[in-house]
Amino acid sequence: MTLLGLLERKPSYGYDLKRDYDGFFGRGKPLQFGQVYATLARLARDGKVSAGDSEPGGGPDRKRYFITEAGVAEVDAWLAETAEPEPHLQAVLFTKVILALLLGRPAESYLDAQRAAHLRRMRELTALKRAGGPLDTYLADYGLFHLEADLRWIDMTAARLDKLAEEVRR
Amino acid sequence: MNGAGMNEGYVNENFVNEGCVLEAREIVKSFGSTPALRGASVAVGRGEILAVMGPSGSGKSTLLHCLAGILVPDGGQVLFGGQRLDTMKENPRSALRRDKFGFVFQFGQLVPELTAEENVALPLLLAGARRAEAVRKARAWFPRLGLDGLERNRSGEMSGGEAQRVALARGLVADPEVLFADEPTGSLDSLAGERVMDLLTAAARDQGTTVVLVTHEPRVAAYADREIIVRDGVVTTTPAAPAASAAAAFGTGRGGS
Amino acid sequence: MIRLAVRLTLNGGREAVTRLVITAVAVALGVGLLLAVLAASNAIDAQALRTGWFDITGSSDIHITGSSHSAPGASPEWWLSSYDAYDQQPIERVDVAALGPHAPVPPGITRLPGPGQYYASPALAALLRSVPADQLADRYPGHLIGTVGPAALQSPESLVIIIGRAPAQVARADGAARVTSIFTGRDPTNSTQGIAAVLGIVAIALLFPVLVFISTATRLAAARREQRFAAMRLAGATPRQVSVVATVEAAIAAIAGTAAGFCLFFGFRSELARIPFSGHPFFAGDMRLSPPAIIVVVLGIPAAAAVVAHVALRRVRISPLGTARRVRARRPSAWRTLPLLAGIGELVYFTAVGHPTTVNGQLWAYLGGGALTVAGVVIAGPWLTMAGSALLAGRASRPAGLLAARRLADDPKGAFRAISGLILAVFTATVAVGIISSMTENHALQTFGAAGRHILIAGLTGPRNLQDPNAAPGGVAVPASVTGRLLAVPGVSSVVVSHVRPAGTTADNLVDCGQLARLPVLGSCAPGASVAAFDLQPMGSTPGTRRTRVWPTVAMSAARVDRLPASGLLVGTNGATATLEQARTIIETSFPLQASPVTVFDSQGQQLLAAWQQLAGVVILAGLPIAGCSLAVGVIAGLTDRKRPFSLLRLAGAPVGLLRRVVALESSLPLLVVAVVSAALGLLVAELFLNSQLGLNLRPPGLAYYGYVAGGVLLSLGIIAATFPLLSRVTGPEAARSE
Repeated sequence: MTLLGLLERKPSYGYDLKRDYDGFFGRGKPLQFGQVYATLARLARDGKVSAGDSEPGGGPDRKRYFITEAGVAEVDAWLAETAEPEPHLQAVLFTKVILALLLGRPAESYLDAQRAAHLRRMRELTALKRAGGPLDTYLADYGLFHLEADLRWIDMTAARLDKLAEEVRR
Repeated sequence: MNGAGMNEGYVNENFVNEGCVLEAREIVKSFGSTPALRGASVAVGRGEILAVMGPSGSGKSTLLHCLAGILVPDGGQVLFGGQRLDTMKENPRSALRRDKFGFVFQFGQLVPELTAEENVALPLLLAGARRAEAVRKARAWFPRLGLDGLERNRSGEMSGGEAQRVALARGLVADPEVLFADEPTGSLDSLAGERVMDLLTAAARDQGTTVVLVTHEPRVAAYADREIIVRDGVVTTTPAAPAASAAAAFGTGRGGS
Repeated sequence: MIRLAVRLTLNGGREAVTRLVITAVAVALGVGLLLAVLAASNAIDAQALRTGWFDITGSSDIHITGSSHSAPGASPEWWLSSYDAYDQQPIERVDVAALGPHAPVPPGITRLPGPGQYYASPALAALLRSVPADQLADRYPGHLIGTVGPAALQSPESLVIIIGRAPAQVARADGAARVTSIFTGRDPTNSTQGIAAVLGIVAIALLFPVLVFISTATRLAAARREQRFAAMRLAGATPRQVSVVATVEAAIAAIAGTAAGFCLFFGFRSELARIPFSGHPFFAGDMRLSPPAIIVVVLGIPAAAAVVAHVALRRVRISPLGTARRVRARRPSAWRTLPLLAGIGELVYFTAVGHPTTVNGQLWAYLGGGALTVAGVVIAGPWLTMAGSALLAGRASRPAGLLAARRLADDPKGAFRAISGLILAVFTATVAVGIISSMTENHALQTFGAAGRHILIAGLTGPRNLQDPNAAPGGVAVPASVTGRLLAVPGVSSVVVSHVRPAGTTADNLVDCGQLARLPVLGSCAPGASVAAFDLQPMGSTPGTRRTRVWPTVAMSAARVDRLPASGLLVGTNGATATLEQARTIIETSFPLQASPVTVFDSQGQQLLAAWQQLAGVVILAGLPIAGCSLAVGVIAGLTDRKRPFSLLRLAGAPVGLLRRVVALESSLPLLVVAVVSAALGLLVAELFLNSQLGLNLRPPGLAYYGYVAGGVLLSLGIIAATFPLLSRVTGPEAARSE
């Protein structure tokens, strides 16, 4: 999904895609070339990207890929969809915010929607504490504290979106 | 509700939300040159527990004050049971707060020289009840909130959590229609705060009291049925519709990845 | 450093300026009081210096026979001083006849009036103009040629008249003296010690409320100041630098207060001069301040304030963390009531068992008992406040009463402190009023009964025997026309003539029983008697002279008695001013220089007592509002403590009126209770004193006293009410926003 988003930003060669991905999202775990081309091939088969003409020189690394309308729709849907409010969502949330900024989408409303989902989940857990036994209370508290931490991050990020946008669109 | 007929103070419109007890429409309020609210709107259903969240300086306390009739907004309307609060004069508004609303603040509301039971009885005394009767009703709240034996203590002789529970009793003793809570757990640690919120929500649901709760803490807001976010003086639209007053218990949720 | 301290004090924000202003006001009141007392003591001296010239006949025989101190070339003159009166105000009257061209001239006039001329003081001149002639002006033969200047007047309101006469007339009057020089200066028989003592008592009685006010004001400042000083220490200031700031702050407040005190004094000087400390108002110019006194006050007060601040701060080490958490004050113990009970017990014991036999013993009993009782009230005050308010709190049904009572019970010392200064003022003033009004009333009442004040008594003295000046003067013949004219005055009921007893018998006077029967307040004859022996002097009689006295019969016929020369006239009237004054005028014009008609209220002593009663009223009128100021400051201090709970109460819908009622109850209740208790104690002590010393009973004080008390209480309540706007503002919704 991340690669698809990057492709929406601009059509790229496979090599460029890997470089961009590593730059934004890799963070010590660079993508393998094989993974890149396999994903690209699957996306092309599903009709989400289309490959351009090969340049002289042949080989899959010389193809330029474009995103299709279907692909754009899929990126939209993915961004708009809220992640399941579970702990340890850092990777997913982070990805979504960066992509939204890159693509000029309203990152703020995504954050808002996610916050509402988190709060909904917290409400459920709180009700569970009232109704359930002591063991449920411990588990619910664990979930509540971590969701709260996520929410703090969401608030901070929402307050810092401008700066983040500047940095990302360099 | 009565949409027809023009009575003074009543709004001749069809209500957007049936069963809505308290409503703010496009409230504007500034303090000097600083704008606090720029067109905030919210509707609170009867028996609902609503959390008002937002960063500090966003105007959430101001929104609470306008809803409760403490402040008169510069623009917009505030309606309670169909009656316009923003056009009322000081004295009737004050009387309305006394009779229909209850309040819990972050700290400092107990009168230090009165005993706890006298503090709790204060709203009843203000409404004109006889002293013996008022104290009797006040005493009934003490075991209910886990405050046995503290009836004769002063506020300086009890812990913060106990004091906030006394304040909660004071807010609910007169069986108000709406309870306004402004950061009720702000000066308490997690455990004491949880206890206060448990008791607050339980008592409110028991009596059918509507609750408007201002907080910046998500875990406190999680006790509510619904939350609204106030940012830069406006209320961001909530994606979900007003929930029913009783939240059903859910399972532990869908598993993670 | 001092410059920085000055800047900090003056620019410290609104709250610091408020503290400064309140302290300065308190100091201003104290300085104003101090200056008034200093000036009054100067004025008393200045006034006394003007009294000597009038009553020279009483001083020494040198004047009568011709003084050896006569100035060279001075002519003698005949001089007769007497007291006349109009409407209970005394008129100092001099009849003077020059025997030569260089006769001595009394102060205040430029030359002696000749026969048919007189000088009058401004107040008397105004009276002469406004009052019908047959009540005043007819007494004085001639016309007004000028005014008597201030050098001869005790007070601006003094009534003085200097009448010119022919020498022969004055020479034959009883009591006239031949003088060649007029003594100017202080009247040696009239000491100012008693007056100075009264001034001292007034000063002390008012000093306490002012001191309490100053102390309350500085306490208010102290708590907030400590926070500021702690912050300064935190920022790195040394204790010494903090001390400098505190000293400068105190000095600035004291300087401002001293300046304001001077303004108060000079602004109100003429009003202050009217207060009769000595029984007579002063001229505004009398109230002078000597330059050394001014210098001492101007330099001394700020210096004293600075020193006090410095020393007080030295004992309190301001740590950077400020003062520790406020701990609840210890409750006052019940042992505090002991001195009060002891004092009351002693007084009651002496009443029941009887007073000590010696005068000194009595003095110790009453002064001691009184002092112990007053001190007892001051000591027991906090406990009484606590007990009383705890009782109230248990029974209060309205929220305002409950809040006020609990507040008082929580901090009784603080609540009582503000009004403690009032006790002495109200107590001493009430004792004075009780004693004086009873003495005055009792005297007249017990001598003649209720109608006694309406009797005009004129002693008649015949012309002097010039050959034998020391022989007793004889009586005067009273023509029937005079009696007829007197009876013709509307309001006169009867006239009794007392006659000189024939030589060889005792010095009593004789009255015709038929005449006496028409004025029964004077007593009565034995049944069937026609002539009785009579005592003319009402003033000299001992207390307890009863008007049901039966005068002893004298064997003589009424006809014979009527032919004897008269020694006095007694005129019964209805008490109306017009009646009394017309009768008085008739008598004086019929018997010029031979009669001085008086009522029981016309004596100098009575004047003094009346003036002191007024003074006591002024003490109450001044002391109560000062206590009100202390209470107001206490209210303000209490507001800062309870700002948050009160403003949150208002948010929750409590009306502002509730808070106002709480504040009003908290302050006015103790004020009223203390005022009533002190007044009651004062009346009790007055009653005990009167009972044992003078055998009199306490009469309830007149309306004027209640008027003063009511006025003072209203002023204090007004001052307390002045804090209400502050209350509204401090507990407004804005206050709750600062979280």
